[in-house]
This record gives sequence, C-alpha cells and structure tokens, in this order.
Amino acid sequence: MAKKTYDLLFKLLLIGDSGVGKTCLLFRFSDDAFNTTFISTIGIDFKIKTVELGGKKIKLQIWDTAGQERFHTITTSYYRGAMGIMLVYDITNGKSFENISKWLRNIDEHANEDVEKMILGNKCDMEDKRQVPKDRGTSIAQEHGIPFLETSAKANINVDKGFMELAQAILNKTPGRDTEPKGVDIHKQETGKGKCC
Amino acid sequence: MAAYKARLEQFKDALSKSELDIKKIRELSFQGCPFESGYRSICWKILLEHLPLKRDEWPKHLQRQRATYKQFINELIIIPGEKAYLGALADGKLEDHPLNPNPDSQWSVQFKDNDMLMQIDKDCRRLCPDLSFFQSATKFPCNEIIHAKSNVETLRKRVEHTVLKSETVGRNRLGITNMQSTRRRTSDEYALLPDGQEAHWEVVERILFIYAKLNPGLNYVQGMNEILGPIYYTFASDPDPECKEYAEADSFFCFTNLMAEIRDHFIKTLDDSDCGIGYSMTRLMEEIHIRDPCLSHRMTEQDLKPQYFAFRWITLMLSQEFPLPDVLRIWDSLFADKNRFDFLITVCCSMLILLRNEILSNDFPSNMKLLQNFPYTTVEVIKVISKAVEMLHR
Repeated sequence: MAKKTYDLLFKLLLIGDSGVGKTCLLFRFSDDAFNTTFISTIGIDFKIKTVELGGKKIKLQIWDTAGQERFHTITTSYYRGAMGIMLVYDITNGKSFENISKWLRNIDEHANEDVEKMILGNKCDMEDKRQVPKDRGTSIAQEHGIPFLETSAKANINVDKGFMELAQAILNKTPGRDTEPKGVDIHKQETGKGKCC
Repeated sequence: MAAYKARLEQFKDALSKSELDIKKIRELSFQGCPFESGYRSICWKILLEHLPLKRDEWPKHLQRQRATYKQFINELIIIPGEKAYLGALADGKLEDHPLNPNPDSQWSVQFKDNDMLMQIDKDCRRLCPDLSFFQSATKFPCNEIIHAKSNVETLRKRVEHTVLKSETVGRNRLGITNMQSTRRRTSDEYALLPDGQEAHWEVVERILFIYAKLNPGLNYVQGMNEILGPIYYTFASDPDPECKEYAEADSFFCFTNLMAEIRDHFIKTLDDSDCGIGYSMTRLMEEIHIRDPCLSHRMTEQDLKPQYFAFRWITLMLSQEFPLPDVLRIWDSLFADKNRFDFLITVCCSMLILLRNEILSNDFPSNMKLLQNFPYTTVEVIKVISKAVEMLHR
C-alpha cells in the first residue's frame, strides 16, 4: 500500500442551477485557470486538490453535479457523504438566486445534519449585468446562518477563499485535531479584485 | 488503399439496390461508414429508419417529411411568435395576462416554454466547444425565421427578451427605475451572428425546442444536445448538397427515432425501473462481473460506482468521452447493431477491461480521474471497438 500523502480527507459537493458556473469555479480552484468552453455537466464530475490548513495536509475530494432537475436522483445520493456543500448562484441570473431556497431544502432533506454549507454568488465580475444585489445574498445567508461570498471564476475573485473557508469550517469541528486552527492559509494573494468585492 | 476502394465499392453496390438489403447494410456499417460520397449520412438515415428500404420511395418520402417539419416550425415557432407580439401590443386589454393564475393561461405556457428555451440555449451555445463548426454560419438558415417580419418573436428574440425582462424586474427591486442597460446580453465568448445569418448551434437549438414541444412528457433534458449534435454535424457537413440543405429536417427525424429507443435513460422516474439508466448501469456491471471477476471485485471494493462514470457513458452514447470523429465511428457500429444498444454496453465493458491493469493498481481518486477522462490517445477507439467485437464472439 502506498504511504498516505495526506492527514485528512474532506468530501465537498457543488450544487446550484445549471449554468451558474459550478464547473468553472472548480476548475479555477483545482487548476487555477479559467475556461469558457465547458460543456454541460451530465451526472457528476470529480476533482481532487490537496491543501494545507492548520498545519495539516488535507485532501479535498470535490464532486461537481449537474444542475438540471433530471439529475437530482443521481446527485442527491452524494449529499449524504458530503462534509461540506457549496451552493452556487449566478448574480446575473435572478432565477438562480430564487432557487437557493429550493437547494437549501434539498440539503435539509438529503445531507447530514451537521454538514457545513456556504453560499457563493458567482460571476461578480459582470457588474453591468447584475440582477441580484449583493445585500440580498448577504441577507438570505444570514437568515440561514451560512457564510456567503461573491466570487468570480473568471477574474479569480474569492474562489480560493471560498473553498478554504469551507474546508476550515469542517476542520474546526473535526474531532481529534491536535493543532489550533491557524486560520485560512492562502499562499498567494488573490489577483484581480473587482469592484464588487 | 485498394482495400478502402473495395469497401467504397461495396457500399456503392449495397446502396444502389432498388430494394435495400438491411442485413448487408448493417454488416457494412458495423465496420465503419465512409464519409466519402455521403455514405455515412445515407447509412445512418437507413439504420435510424428515416429512409425506407425501397429506394424509389425516397424522394416522395423525404419531401413529405421535410414539409411536415416545416409545418412544425410554422406551428410551434412562427405562429406563437406572432401571437406573442400581438399579445404584447394588446397587453392589459385581454382577459389573459401575464399574472393570470389560471393554468390554461397562454402566458403561463409561454413562461414555462421560456424556461425550457433558456436551458436549451445555454446548452447549445456550449455544444462541442473544441470545434468551430457549431459557431459558424449555416448556408441553409430557416428562411421563414431569418426573414421574418419584425412582428414575429423568433427563438433568438425570445431568448433576448426573456433575459431583458428579468433584468428589468431585478432593477425594479433595487428601486432604480431608469433602465440603463438595454444592451443585449450575449456572453462575450459566443456573440450572435448578425441578422440574416444563423449559426449551426441555433439550428440545433430549434430542433431541440420543436422536439421538446412535441414531446411534453419528456421535455428537454440536458444531454439531448450531445445526442443530436453528432447527427446534425454529419448531415450538415455531408458532401452532397441536398443532404446539407435539409440537414435540419432530416436530423430532426433521425433524432426523434433514435430518442424513441434511448429516451428511457433520460426519464428520471424510470431510473429505478427495469428499462431506465439504473438498469443499464447494472447490466454493465454484471457483464464486467462475468468477464473479469477480479476487476469487478476491485471496483466494488473501491466503491467505484457506475453512477460516477457510466451514467454519462451510456446516457450520451459515449459522445463526451471521445473526440467527434471517434464518436461518429462508434455510432456507425451502435446504429448497425440489430439488438440496438446492447452493443453500447459491450463497448463500455471493453473500455473498462482495456483499463483493467490501471484500475487494479490505482487508488480511488486516480481511478475516478481515469474513468471520467478516458485516455483515448493511448487506448484508441479502434482498440476499443475491436475488443468489443472480440467480446461479442465469446
């Protein structure tokens, strides 16, 4: 057997309406690149990234799901094993924001009770096409006691931060961790801070 | 080369018979259809039962089918498009209005349609992004639509209006009343072609919209674009001008016939029945269990569920796993299969068995990566098919 190259394994899940940019966010986080030419995700996709947090090597196993209703029977089976769920909407698409409550209900129904959640309002680089004001995102997140960030996979805004904070939240309640949380460790300063963040 | 010429000769021979021998055509197509002389398009149309077996019936049959399709465009896009325009004019005077809660309201139908259209639009814009074909203009746009009077709301206009309308609402909630951004929203990467032109992806969008309207029980499901794409591509890039010209109507009928056979995979409520995708995935895993118990054991032990990879393989008939030319080659064999799509399971099985050594030694994440990104540059499509054929005989 190969030697373990990590201390902890966290399973994360990305959900949200079709076309909000789940695959792009994941690609930005795992490969630090942006690709506009993604085909639609059918069923479920998968990426791995190892990060360092609080002195521990953490392997993030991230599942990327298809947004359309049809795939829910396939994708909801992943909710159960997930330790963190990233719920994504598109700030230029009001409908995707209205559906947040539907996705939250899905989480309640299918995920573990203590799953860590985070809401991301993606595409915040497209200020001229914005339909969802930032404070609406903030208030729905507060209402449910969930952390919230506006992100842009394209301009690389808050993407690392989002994933690292979610991982940190899981680490904070992982039993038996011997190191104190040292806070989020992002190696490089994020570039291209947009006017919206 | 001589062998290839002989093959072309065989196709020519088989396709020139006045009464086609379907067995012979299946046999030939199973080995791969040549693109030359449009043989692939013709064979697919025969295998997908768009063309009858009596050759002299072809002209009349095609004429009728193409006229029917034109009628669908008229009834499902142009006439409702005119009504939508008139409705917008008479807004407020009619009994039916956008806030009418009555389920029979034309408006509520229109809203539901728009949701579906927006989904199709999103998926068609991102169809085969590695290929410039779908972004380029077709030489045969739908004349009724591109020359439509300004009082017809075409699909293109509908998409724009839907986006604009929701923009207005969003701004109103903000309390800002002046509409500064009336600019059309087109994603920067996929700009629309100028009026009077249509991109191939817009043609695909129209076919899917009409299909969804005609099949309300199924509607549009993501992934259908990936089934229609290769068919439309084949017909629209055929060397025969007539085939190109009627690529839209012919693809519609071939797609409809193909969906009749594979649609169960797209229906959520059938997932756990014995005809849905769940059953097909189980069949694949059973086949692996019989042919390679060791591999099967490893996959179970590692919890490499078929949902993680075979869901996409089977639903999309491998169209996302290989580059387009390879997909066309695989589909030659799949369409030629008499027990249609049993061979698809065999091909999937062959893909797994060809990767067995890697799967046996890899850890779970590496295996997931491998199965979600099939290494077609090292395990070529020819290998996959010949292994599958070999398995058929054992």
